[in-house]
Amino acid sequence: MRLVCGDETIVVEVRETAGGSEVTVNGQALRLHVDTVGPGEFTCRQAEHVETFHCVREGDVVHLFWRGRVYRLEEETETSRAAHRHAGGGLEAPMPGKVIAVKVAPGDTVAKGDELLVVEAMKMENAVRAPRDGRVKSVAARVGDMVSPGVVLVELE
Amino acid sequence: MPAFQKVLIANRGEIAVRVARTCRAMGIATAAVYSEADAHALHARVADEAVPIGPAEAARSYLSIDALLAAARRVGADAVHPGYGFLSQNGDFADAVAGAGLAFIGPPGDVHRRMGDKKGARRLMAAAGVPVVPGYDGDDQADATLAREAARIGWPVMIKPSRGGGGKGMRAVRAEKEFLPALAAARREARSAFGDDAIVLERLLERPRHVEVQVLADASGQAVHLFERECSIQRRHQKVVEETPSPALGGDQRRALCAAGVAAARAASYVNAGTVEFLLDPSGEFYFLEMNTRLQVEHPVTECVTGLDLVRLQIEVASGVPLGLTQDAITTRGHALECRLSAEDPWNADLPSPGRILHLAPPEGPGIRWDGGIATGSDVTVHYDPLLAKLVTWGASRDESVARMAEALRRTVVLGVVTNLERLQAIVDHPAFRRGLLHTGFLDEHLTGLPRVPCPPPEALAAAALALSGTPEITGGPTPGRPSPSDPWQTLGAWRLG
Repeated sequence: MRLVCGDETIVVEVRETAGGSEVTVNGQALRLHVDTVGPGEFTCRQAEHVETFHCVREGDVVHLFWRGRVYRLEEETETSRAAHRHAGGGLEAPMPGKVIAVKVAPGDTVAKGDELLVVEAMKMENAVRAPRDGRVKSVAARVGDMVSPGVVLVELE
Repeated sequence: MPAFQKVLIANRGEIAVRVARTCRAMGIATAAVYSEADAHALHARVADEAVPIGPAEAARSYLSIDALLAAARRVGADAVHPGYGFLSQNGDFADAVAGAGLAFIGPPGDVHRRMGDKKGARRLMAAAGVPVVPGYDGDDQADATLAREAARIGWPVMIKPSRGGGGKGMRAVRAEKEFLPALAAARREARSAFGDDAIVLERLLERPRHVEVQVLADASGQAVHLFERECSIQRRHQKVVEETPSPALGGDQRRALCAAGVAAARAASYVNAGTVEFLLDPSGEFYFLEMNTRLQVEHPVTECVTGLDLVRLQIEVASGVPLGLTQDAITTRGHALECRLSAEDPWNADLPSPGRILHLAPPEGPGIRWDGGIATGSDVTVHYDPLLAKLVTWGASRDESVARMAEALRRTVVLGVVTNLERLQAIVDHPAFRRGLLHTGFLDEHLTGLPRVPCPPPEALAAAALALSGTPEITGGPTPGRPSPSDPWQTLGAWRLG
C-alpha cells in the first residue's frame, strides 16, 4: 500500500513468508508480528519487545495511535490521486457547519485576507478568507446552508 | 428513602453521564433528554430512560424550557438537574421548573438573575467587602461618562457587557483614542448577543491567574467552601486545564480567598453549589470576577481532593436536607489536575473537528478519572460544544498528579476526530507549567504553535499495514441508524483549501 503522510508518500509492502510476515517500508525490511487484541487494538512484537497500538481504517484514511501519538494517513489509490489532481482554485469550508454570512458576490474584487463567508460550528464562528487577491468567480453557498469540507464554496478567478 | 424518585437530566454529553452516575449511586432513577442529533449519544444510553426533546438545533431542544418541562412531565420526574451550559444559569428555567412543582437542582431564579448581571453583582460584592477589580459599574451609561471613567481607572481598560459571558463583546482597550470605537463595537455585540448593551469597565490586569472558590450553601443560610481551583490555562476565555490546590497560594492567602468566596455566597443569598471566580494579580491581590450559579465543568478536581461528591451534595440541598457539612470537616488531600479533551484541531486554529469516534480507549489506573460523553461509534456533531471528555488525575503532590497526567495523556486513544490531545501533552510537559508559573495568557506566551506531527516511524507503518491487512474495514460503532455514507458528516475529508 502507498500511505500519504503530509508531503511524503511511503510505500509499505507485506509479504507472507514461511517464517512469518515480512514488511518493507520504503524498501527497508522489518520483521515484526502483529496480533489482534480487540476491535482497533493490536500488539506488535519485535524480537522480545511487545507493545500495544491502535489502528482503524475509514475509507482511504488510516487512523493510527502509536506510542502516545495520533497519526492520520491517507492510502493513495487511483481515486484519491485523481481527486488531488482536480483540486483547483476553489475555497472549501474549513469544517462541517452552517453558513451564517456570505460577504461577497460574483464579480467582487477581494484582497488577500478578506472575509468571504462565515461558517459556524460548535458555537464557534470561523471566517473563510481570501488566500490571495482576486476576483470572485462564483459563490455556491447561501446563508443557512449546511456545508462540509470537500465542497467548493467560493471560486476565485 | 432517596431524596427524589426520578431526576430529569436537562443536558447532554459528559455532564449528563456524570450526573446519572451519582443518581444511580443514590438509588434515584434517571431520565435523559436527547435532540435528533443525539438519539444514539452515550448520555441517552446510560440513563434509565431517554426522551426526545426536538431537533438538533439547541435553541429548539436543550434550550427549550417548554420541551424540557414536557419531558419532565412525560417521565414523571420530581427533580431537574440542569448540568452546566444551556439553561443551567437561566433564572426563568429555574422558576419554571419550580412552578411546575418540581425541584430545581441549583439555585432559585432570583439568585441566577442577581449574579447574571455583572453591574449588580459587582456592587453587591463591593458592599459585602469582597474585593472587586477597580472599575465602573454605574447606571449612567452615557459614552462621555464611560470615557471619563475609563481614563480615571487607567489604561489598559476592559470593556465588558453587563449581561452575558463567554467572552462575547469583551474588549481590551490600551489607549484613550481606541476607547469610543471599541465601546461602540462592544455595545453592538452585547445588544445582539444578550439584548442589553449596559457596560461595565474594569482595569485590565496583566498576567493574572484565574482562581475560583467552590461554595455550597443550603436554604437555611449555612454556607461553606470546598477550597479553590486554579484555571489559568485558557484559550479564548475557555478553560483548558484546571487544578487544585492552586500552586500560587500560601496558607494565609488561601484562607482569605476562600473566606471571600463564602462572603460572596452569603451576600448573594446563595443556595446549592456555586463557584466564585477571582483574578489573582501577580502582586497577590485578588478581585471578584463573577459567580457561576451552577456546577462547574472542572468540579471533579475538587471531588478528588475533598473526597466529596458535589452532585450528591447538590441533590441533597435541593431536596431540602440541611447541609450536614461543617467547614472544619472539609479537608483536602493531595493535588488533582483536569485536562479538557476536545474535538478541536490544534494545528488549524483550534477549529472544531466534528466526525465519528471510530475507536476509543481511555486510560485507566490508580488516580485516574475519565468523565466522558463519548463511546466508540459516537458522532461528534457541529451542533454542540466540542468537549469530548475530561481526564482527571490525582496525586499525593502536584508533581505526582502532573506526572500521572502526562502518562495518562500518552495512553488516551481517540481515533476518528482530530483532538487537542497533543496540545494538552505540550501544556503538561512545559517547564513553566511544571513549575506552576501560570497566568491566563500562558498559551499565547508559550504555546501558540504546535509542531506538525512527523510521519510515523517505519515500524509503526509496518505494524499498521499488518494490522489492516488482516482485518476488515472499521467504519463505525455498534449504534444502529448510522448515517449513510453519502451523509456529509461521514466524509471527514482533508482539511485543505483547494
